[in-house]
Amino acid sequence: MTNIEVAHERAKQPNPEQNTRPGRSYPPNVDILETEQGLRLWADLPGVDQSSIDVELVDDVITIRGRVSTGEYESLQPVYTEYNVGNYEARFRLSSTIDGARISAKLANGVLELELPKVAAAKPRKIEIH
Amino acid sequence: MALFRYGRDLDPSNALSRLQQDLERTFDSPFGHGLGLLGRGVHPAINIFKSGEDVVLRIEVPGFAPGDLAITSQGQTLTVSGKPAEQTQASGSYHRRERASGVFSRSIQLPREVDPARAAAQCKNGVLTLRVPAREEIKPRQISITGG
Repeated sequence: MTNIEVAHERAKQPNPEQNTRPGRSYPPNVDILETEQGLRLWADLPGVDQSSIDVELVDDVITIRGRVSTGEYESLQPVYTEYNVGNYEARFRLSSTIDGARISAKLANGVLELELPKVAAAKPRKIEIH
Repeated sequence: MALFRYGRDLDPSNALSRLQQDLERTFDSPFGHGLGLLGRGVHPAINIFKSGEDVVLRIEVPGFAPGDLAITSQGQTLTVSGKPAEQTQASGSYHRRERASGVFSRSIQLPREVDPARAAAQCKNGVLTLRVPAREEIKPRQISITGG
């Protein structure tokens, strides 16, 4: 029984890109909110702890990588599964309105939250009329 | 430096590939006819495992702190429900909204061999793990024989 509105069917499709690491990676489910101050991004990374996450900004592309641990699955035999597990990877191209130097990140309960402040010039500014 | 390795079991980094293959071998009904879950494709997603005689559930609940979750058992039914902590809504517009959020409740009917009343739960990094132990009476035991 469920009484939740799911924004979309949890379409966990592996990332199409090929990579050299073993195992498939998945794009995390993401919310992106734009406010006057900047963007806020939340990415679901269940099973990833703080030491296994990388957020990297190269040029204008921000890359999120999270590694899941397989250790907890030793001695477990699956009998029924609704989700597969895998590492997480997602990339976002930032517009020039974001101030890359002031991006901050935090992780809590398997959710990564990024604060992407806008550069001062990009914020809407009320022009005073004298 | 060896560029090629023979035998995938020699490479511990393949543990993830093996786990992913194992998780793909799933069954429609976890515990045979008439038992199991009330629906696939609903939130949150549940994986069910056997660990010896115990049943282990792993449920993805990103964003939920342990205090936002409640687990109740009644008979062989285990219910997991969640209510996210109140969040102050920032004004703005969403460019993407993919994450499931809000109140949920999911029930699972467990086989008689395990005891939901003695389930133990742990929530870590947005994954809730529930271990439901086997009933003592189903475990094999030695019957002592008295001579007469």
